[in-house]
Amino acid sequence: MARVAVLQIPGVNCEYESVRALEAVGIEAAIVRFNEPASVLSEFDAYLLPGGFAFQDRIRAGAVAAKLPAVERIARESESGKPVVGICNGAQVLVEAGLVPGLRPGRVEAALAPNRAPRRPGYLCRWIRVRAGEGPGRGTFTSALAAGEVVPLPIAHGEGRFETADPDVRAAIEGEGLALLRYVAADGAPARAYPDDPNGSMLQAAGLTNRAGNVLALMPHPERAAQLKHVPLDWPGPWGDRRRAAAGRFDALEGPGPGRFLFESLARRLGAAVPSGAIR
Amino acid sequence: MSAVLLTRLKISDLTALTALDAARGLLPEGIAIARIVREELYLFEPEPGAAAAAFEAPLANAIESSNFFVNPNKERYRFLRAAERGDSLEPPDGAWGILARPRGETRDEGLLVRLGREHPLAGLGAIRRARLWWLWTKGPGGDPAARSSYEALGPVSGTRRGLLVNPHAEASLTIERAVPWRELEAFLADPAPAYRAA
Repeated sequence: MARVAVLQIPGVNCEYESVRALEAVGIEAAIVRFNEPASVLSEFDAYLLPGGFAFQDRIRAGAVAAKLPAVERIARESESGKPVVGICNGAQVLVEAGLVPGLRPGRVEAALAPNRAPRRPGYLCRWIRVRAGEGPGRGTFTSALAAGEVVPLPIAHGEGRFETADPDVRAAIEGEGLALLRYVAADGAPARAYPDDPNGSMLQAAGLTNRAGNVLALMPHPERAAQLKHVPLDWPGPWGDRRRAAAGRFDALEGPGPGRFLFESLARRLGAAVPSGAIR
Repeated sequence: MSAVLLTRLKISDLTALTALDAARGLLPEGIAIARIVREELYLFEPEPGAAAAAFEAPLANAIESSNFFVNPNKERYRFLRAAERGDSLEPPDGAWGILARPRGETRDEGLLVRLGREHPLAGLGAIRRARLWWLWTKGPGGDPAARSSYEALGPVSGTRRGLLVNPHAEASLTIERAVPWRELEAFLADPAPAYRAA
């Protein structure tokens, strides 16, 4: 069975729901403490850095965690092609550790800067929509999505604006499709302004991969949308319709939600036998 | 000329302590670090044609008598009026500093609006913000080794290089000796310098 390590750093708070979402797609997931011997991590097939506030976001979100031996070990393991996904705070760690976009190994080439939205400074917690592109990460992270499919997901961050000050890096991200998941409007068109674009991210990026496509830094929280019951009752569109139709039916509410695609894609990539239906 | 407010925690600053701990693992051999202090810098710019003197007295009163900028239970501050701030910002004894600002807008419009609501100040045009890190480092020769320490602890350039500033989101300035206020004001008011990969 494919095994994924969920790295528990002091201050993260999404490790248990991440494990649950992974297990629902047939993956064996284990929480690994940040201070366990880093060699333990080598026993796993893939890695998930969950959301939260590692080291209380001291200095900058992800800045301290990025220097951990455990993260260095995960970086080394990623070089052999093992998948790594960082969700929200995990994404901030991967960017600060230079794994994403990772054009020049060992270099930090981007930042997750404070959100930039008119009259909405600071932390933002709401649902948005994303759409996957055709970048190198598609096979590992979005293969479960239909082409052009619009996916609603929750976000919860204050520093979620992907940014690079290096024009060459930006050109590579755009040209090579490294912005795998991008914020879109309800009709799937690129997000032009708030609220479709929640934070002013370059290229409307919600998720950025490395060039090899095996490392993804994703700001929205798919693990908080892994079951149908997670979708807000008043959400418009097909997912909202499904949610309302399932009201009062426990089995249906426990069924797959829009965020399941990430875990299912990962399971396929790892060769896991993905069960259908209810999450547990 | 602007008025300046510098605030820092007087209770334990866990962010600075965490930075100190992380810094010890990043400095080259032979360089020691004893202390890091974090300060928030506010620059109060007068409206065009006005002088800072127009709002300094009520601003000083707002800082002193409300919790708007400073919670006296946990923070201390220095308020420097434009006419009294001296020519330069000087590092504390034995320290050198890193001044970090966002690459984008340094004016905090939201703070200005909130301040105007609670403490209307005629003549105040803008509030700019930045962060100051003061570092007490010592090289093998007893000197501060500021240049090497800046490379190790300043802008992040690699996974084991840099800590306090991400140059893709922030621009930074080193303060190794007294730096004229005029230079600091320009650093905060001008567009951030273009990024150059190290």
